Amino acid sequence: MRFQEAKPDGRAVVYAHIQADPLVARAADLLAAGTTVQRLLARAVMNGESTDPETWRTMFPLLFGAAAAALGTPERDRSEALLAVSLQVADRGEQTRSQFRGAVVEALTERLLAERTGPVRRERRILFDGRPAEIHPYDATVERDGAAEAWDCKWGARGIKADVIHQLDDARAGAVSEGGKLLVGLVVFDARRSCEVRLVRERGPVAIEGIKLIALEGLDRLAGRRPA
Amino acid sequence: MSANVADLVARALDAFEVLAVTAEPVSDELQYVADLTTVWGARLRAVSAARGAEEAPAGADAALAALAVEAAKITDPHRAIDWLSTLPQVALAALGEAA
Repeated sequence: MRFQEAKPDGRAVVYAHIQADPLVARAADLLAAGTTVQRLLARAVMNGESTDPETWRTMFPLLFGAAAAALGTPERDRSEALLAVSLQVADRGEQTRSQFRGAVVEALTERLLAERTGPVRRERRILFDGRPAEIHPYDATVERDGAAEAWDCKWGARGIKADVIHQLDDARAGAVSEGGKLLVGLVVFDARRSCEVRLVRERGPVAIEGIKLIALEGLDRLAGRRPA
Repeated sequence: MSANVADLVARALDAFEVLAVTAEPVSDELQYVADLTTVWGARLRAVSAARGAEEAPAGADAALAALAVEAAKITDPHRAIDWLSTLPQVALAALGEAA
């Protein structure tokens, strides 16, 4: 099993500019430290229509209401900062914001993984002797002897598709066939309930028990933490 | 008189139905939409069954009203599918429930 830099195609070159946008890093930093409800706020705002922050404050009383953390506390400041960053992403227009959201989930995954293990790399392919090379690179890999990992990242449960599941399962099987081990999984910035119904429909003949699913409520598990 | 949990769950289910109708034109996702409707509808109804008569938590009434308005603004069917997953999570959070 070998990890290899993916050759960038046209899409990847354009996407690299989005990945490098400071707004992506800012959102990922805030989300990495955030609670589940703060992450849900970001998901709703980045996919919403309203641009008035007060609308979103009203919608999330746990973060901004009477019982929320007091103004000036780190938790409240993070809620406000996440709201502001999410509105900036939402303001980018439909096509661009879709790419931004994907890049944010990837950057968040990278940060959380790096808290637990490493080295973490982005956009890498995995090659196995005697097997055809995979088409798509993995969004995040952990290239550690004896404890390698490969993760695909999705903004929503709808992004879970049969080809993604098959590629992950093929990589896992490839590692086993070489006498090795590769943890494979999906990181989805959406509720586990939605991910599970999607996974069951899209799995086909794949035994999904071999594929880890990390949904929005469980993102802290990537970092080896309990969910906040 | 303040709303109880059952009132707010009913409001969330109405908003959810609006989104499901908006999502209908995406014919290759009909099964997924039906699946989301089944599992999230059941989750919300379970909250109503368990806590329906309870007074809604502070801020939840206004939160659900704002959420319903936001859902009604969604006109793109693809975004509506994404919101079919988002709306119940936001509603449950406002009611003090996990997804």
